[in-house]
Amino acid sequence: MLKGFTRAAVVAIALSVAASGAFAQDAVRVGSKIDTEGALLGHMIIQLLESKGVKTANKLQLGPTKIVRSAIVAGEIDLYPEYTGNGAFFFSIDTDPAWKSGKSGYEKVKTLDAEQNKLVWLQPAPANNTWAIAVRKDVATANKLSTMEDFAKWVAGGGKVKVAASAEFVESPAALPSFEKTYGFRLAQDQVLVLAGGNTAATERAAAEQTSGVNAAMAYGTDGALAALGLVVMSDPKGAQIVYQPAPLVRASVLDKHPAIKDALEPVFASLDLSTLQTLNAKIAVEGQDAKQVAAAYLKEKGFLK
Amino acid sequence: MVRNRVLLVLAVVALLAAFGLAFVAHAPNRLVSGQPIPLLVAAGSRVFALLPGIVLLFAPFLPQRRAVHTVTVVAAAAFIVALWWLAGAHAAALAEAAPPAARTSLGAGFWTLFICTALALIEAVRRLGLRPASGVLIGAAVVAVVALLGAAGALDQLSIVKEYASRREVFADAVTRHLVIVLAALVPTVVLGVPLGILAHRRKSVAASAFPVLNVVQTIPSIALFALLIAPLSGLTALFPGLAALGISGIGLAPAVIALIFYSLLPVVRNTAEGLAGVSAAAIEAARAMGMTQQQVFWRVELPLALPVFLSGLRITTVQAIGLTAVAALIGAGGLGAIMFQGVFANALDLTMLGAVPVILLAVMADALLRLLTAYAERQPG
Repeated sequence: MLKGFTRAAVVAIALSVAASGAFAQDAVRVGSKIDTEGALLGHMIIQLLESKGVKTANKLQLGPTKIVRSAIVAGEIDLYPEYTGNGAFFFSIDTDPAWKSGKSGYEKVKTLDAEQNKLVWLQPAPANNTWAIAVRKDVATANKLSTMEDFAKWVAGGGKVKVAASAEFVESPAALPSFEKTYGFRLAQDQVLVLAGGNTAATERAAAEQTSGVNAAMAYGTDGALAALGLVVMSDPKGAQIVYQPAPLVRASVLDKHPAIKDALEPVFASLDLSTLQTLNAKIAVEGQDAKQVAAAYLKEKGFLK
Repeated sequence: MVRNRVLLVLAVVALLAAFGLAFVAHAPNRLVSGQPIPLLVAAGSRVFALLPGIVLLFAPFLPQRRAVHTVTVVAAAAFIVALWWLAGAHAAALAEAAPPAARTSLGAGFWTLFICTALALIEAVRRLGLRPASGVLIGAAVVAVVALLGAAGALDQLSIVKEYASRREVFADAVTRHLVIVLAALVPTVVLGVPLGILAHRRKSVAASAFPVLNVVQTIPSIALFALLIAPLSGLTALFPGLAALGISGIGLAPAVIALIFYSLLPVVRNTAEGLAGVSAAAIEAARAMGMTQQQVFWRVELPLALPVFLSGLRITTVQAIGLTAVAALIGAGGLGAIMFQGVFANALDLTMLGAVPVILLAVMADALLRLLTAYAERQPG
């Protein structure tokens, strides 16, 4: 009787595994990160590839960066939008000055990924989704703050600031410490509120609602929520931060098989500048529109899709 | 004076929530916290809809007779529907004068009133001494009426319904996917767990080695176990490309199902063994005396008598798997957890709720159905 059970067990496991598979292997598996911009860019990529007759499998909003990156390296997805500057962390060379410029950062990550992982970086969008500090509009207006230089002078002169940030932003030498070194200011411990596992949605909300006296927040350049939450980004004229330009990252073997991918995606990414991405992200994050429809509407409006 | 303490406590909590907490909250967009609006303001001219709630406030002081219980059941069911209708109607009124990005969310007051009323309903059904199946039917009827309200568009302006509307296409898929993951884990769990439970019952050595291992597995945080499976599975598929064709890969369904099986085994194995251990020696002896073979004794006596305990193990494991599957969204398995985490990452509370509430509903439904099965198995030994 137990033998019968064992046989049944093997059959059941085989069946449940087979049922879970059954994905067409020749389709291009398009992934993305779980966040808003990941959904937006991912849907654009799927719609563009389908319009060129390239079959796709939807693996969008797969998970956080680590999961999506290990998925493409392991060959479990074929294509997803990634930020050039993240190469600094994928290859553990975040102190390399190359990352501080869009062009040299792109060349660097392109070369490294081609050599080590057989991945191809297509041309990135001319938008920088880098780390920034955003200040409440009322505070910024009252103290005439628009750049990190203004911000540094204001903090050094005893300005009452409290920044909500993630632990990563506070500790990573490429983030807040780089701002402090470049612009010559220092935030005391009680001027920073660390949100454990905090993302920019959480920090920006804290600043907008003045949680625990917070009046500034860690933010990303292309965040759509900033205007709606009444926050102003401090610009970074001295280039203290790594440049993060979104670009399609594709497995070389898949690109060889479907060369149309390059021609389909590069003109669209070239059209995505900072304010375009902010506007599109805001439609999803602030108004709650469906990422798929926002992507389709943009591609039609610009004539990339009929 | 007080005839039913449970209902009294619920009434006091509900009153505090009605006057102390926001019934709904109105915000300029989905990212910021809204302006709290108390129940009476939200009700406005529709204040008559609160009548069933007032009936419920008297229930704790009335003699505990069948007629009173019946009235309580009807009033609680009506009040649950009224709460949804009032929230939806006020949201619609607010939406007329507000920009399209504005949102009206259900507040803490709403949820507290909703839960208190649902508990009052359960209490009254219990006191009526109805069969478990009738209780489940009453619950299903209330859910159906609220769903009808939604289908008629009365809830369209509530933020959580707006989140649903912009994800209508993926929502049904997410629910199906969630259930597929749970089933894909539970079927192998039962097929592996029952024989293991039988073995553990018959041989002390099996029990001594299996239970400590399964117990330790339960203590591993789920997200860690999911993440830990990515590397070995990716390695396996790299070694045996045939596996990839079967759909086995380091992300998605395979690691989710494998981790879920690990977690699900303990309740099934333990309750199978305990159920068999609970079968009285007299019953087995009587069966042998009647001339049954060992096989017959197992299938006709031991198994039916152990079934209720086994089923309650299955119930625990099912409810647990439904909850754990939500976490599996972080390794790309999809399901309702994907919607929930999109909400968490975007800090959009109502999107988080759109993922979380159905998970709770599914768990409650699975629990009720398996309780029914257990009750049925207890009543019909053999």
